[in-house]
Amino acid sequence: MLSEIVEAFREVQLPLLAVLLLLGAAAKTTRRAAGAGLAVLVPERLRRVSTVGTGLLEAVLGVGLLALTGLLGEAARTLTAVVFAVSVVVLVLVRRRDPEAGCGCFGGLSRAPVGWRTLARAGFLSAAALATLGLEPAGWQVIASTTPTHAGILGVELLFLALLSPEPRGVVARALHREPCGLREVPLRRTMRTLRHSDVWRVNEPVMLGTEPEDVWRQGCWRFLRYDGMRHGRRTDVVYAVRTGGSRRTAVRAVLVDRGSGTVVASFGAVTRADLPAPPRRLASPSEAARRDAWRHDEARAAASLRAAREHATVWDSMESEPDVRATDAPEPDTRGAEVRDTGNQDAGARGAAARNPKGRESTPAG
Amino acid sequence: MSVITGVERNRRGFTAAVLGAESAPEPTPLGHRVTRGVVVSANSRMLCLAVPGGEERFMYDRTTTFWRGGDVGPGELRTGDDAIVLRVPGGHPIAERVWSQAARATGVIVSRDGDTLEVDPGHGRPRQTVVLPYRTSGRISVRHPRLEPGYVFDAVGVWWEGTVRAIRPATTQPPHPLSATPHRPPTRRPATTLSGIATWYDPAWGRSPHMDPRAHVHGAAYPALDPVGHDAGCDRRASCVPLPLLSTGAILSLRNDCTREAAAIPVVDCAAADSWLCDLCPACGGQAAGRLASLTMTSFVALGGRLEDGCFNATVTVHDGEG
Repeated sequence: MLSEIVEAFREVQLPLLAVLLLLGAAAKTTRRAAGAGLAVLVPERLRRVSTVGTGLLEAVLGVGLLALTGLLGEAARTLTAVVFAVSVVVLVLVRRRDPEAGCGCFGGLSRAPVGWRTLARAGFLSAAALATLGLEPAGWQVIASTTPTHAGILGVELLFLALLSPEPRGVVARALHREPCGLREVPLRRTMRTLRHSDVWRVNEPVMLGTEPEDVWRQGCWRFLRYDGMRHGRRTDVVYAVRTGGSRRTAVRAVLVDRGSGTVVASFGAVTRADLPAPPRRLASPSEAARRDAWRHDEARAAASLRAAREHATVWDSMESEPDVRATDAPEPDTRGAEVRDTGNQDAGARGAAARNPKGRESTPAG
Repeated sequence: MSVITGVERNRRGFTAAVLGAESAPEPTPLGHRVTRGVVVSANSRMLCLAVPGGEERFMYDRTTTFWRGGDVGPGELRTGDDAIVLRVPGGHPIAERVWSQAARATGVIVSRDGDTLEVDPGHGRPRQTVVLPYRTSGRISVRHPRLEPGYVFDAVGVWWEGTVRAIRPATTQPPHPLSATPHRPPTRRPATTLSGIATWYDPAWGRSPHMDPRAHVHGAAYPALDPVGHDAGCDRRASCVPLPLLSTGAILSLRNDCTREAAAIPVVDCAAADSWLCDLCPACGGQAAGRLASLTMTSFVALGGRLEDGCFNATVTVHDGEG
């Protein structure tokens, strides 16, 4: 059983190495491949040549591993082992020469600096090529007669190689991770689209004189756009700030600045400047918030408010039961408004009015 | 190009109105300690400079030092020299240090002819001719082993007949040509406070500093300018410091980590060449690599920098009203 597994392991290496070599060769033909791996060690004019040469060698070896048997096959396998062993040395030199350079094994994908994983992978592949020496079938014959054992070993080995390789990590990191908003280059078109879909834009549209910004600038996560505007007959600068990341609804702020005096006459979309218990998306739980706000709570006032509310409710209940009373009360808002206007001038008078008419006029304790 | 316009000055006010005053503080006035002008006369007791408003005279004290490609005596300043004077603290017209004909060539080497280099500073600035005198060529080549086209060059020197005579290297040359700069991994964590080094550049190219308003601008050229709203030609690359994108008119709060002097400095220009280099500053032993900004000559001196060192360790803070 064990000997079968070992035999299958040796056989699996042939197609695996061939596919890796062919993939590497294909990746080295891309433009971004130059400037990594062996190319770091050679003069500028030979960089492209060395990259393409390495790619060609890999292609030849890959085809050789797949197609050749006998003495030629043995030669291809030995050469593959030697190439991977030499690449370990080359990568060590590359790392010493330029610690930031990538290995270039899979062209532009291998841009991560050469680390122990890359070196270990090259060493492992060299050993894998040595293990194929003396095998009877060629690579294509192994593929043609694949057994479940082969598939299982291949799966485990691919997983092992994926763990050793920096490339899948780089691809996943690039796919999952977005650059911080302050560093991200965003086209003006996208900013304009966010802006024009926002409520802040719609509210200020009547003020603006043109639809194209007079000035555009950037401050970290925010892009600013200034428009000419006219408000109540005075020239005004309408300045929008559009966030380059984040949700669409909270992403736009605006201020209207009087051009003559430079004062801010209105602002839109800004969030409170008061200290919040946490960033706005993570508000405290109701019980926690209640505990924090406990100092605001005034027992006597709350009791008075509750009493007033109850009395108010009984009044409304009685009014609903007698519809004709509601009809006679209809002109009341006018008199109430007059009362507010009269007492508005004198604070003492207002307090007197409140004392005269305590029904439902008190503010809530939370307010 | 590097003089801040009225439009850009308003940007600061509008930014402050939207994001809060700390995101765009008022620029710190730096002019009281530094004067730049043309030497009218210099003798062993007094230096007279032609400045935009007329003439200004400076006395020396025992500690006054003079630099003209190296430490020199006051008699070696020549009439017509471009001079920068750092005054003693306290507002007296006494010079603490005087730099004469200071020049800097930062950029990528375009061509080489014997000991003459042509350096392209990038972002639309005129190319400079740099001469490597025999006396200093050894010192330069220790830190610039490849004086070939395509490689980066940065040296401090003196103006001499329209060319820069390189005196001392201002960086260690990267081992690869600019076109083969390795890819930098993307930044994970955003930060509003960044450490690195600040360098200097001459916005007036050493020409008639008593007439040119650019010679007296206090500001900084910034390597991470937003391409939108900025003239093309700022060929920025991924800097090795995660600098937030800004536009001209934004304010950097910059601190000199060597002398602890700090100032709010407006961004006046692009410094794409700063994003090409990822170097350390040996001036006071800092460990943070990467260039944050190129200050104008006068701002650099006002913040305690020494032009011949070429850099100081700095910390930059850019608030964007969040956290």
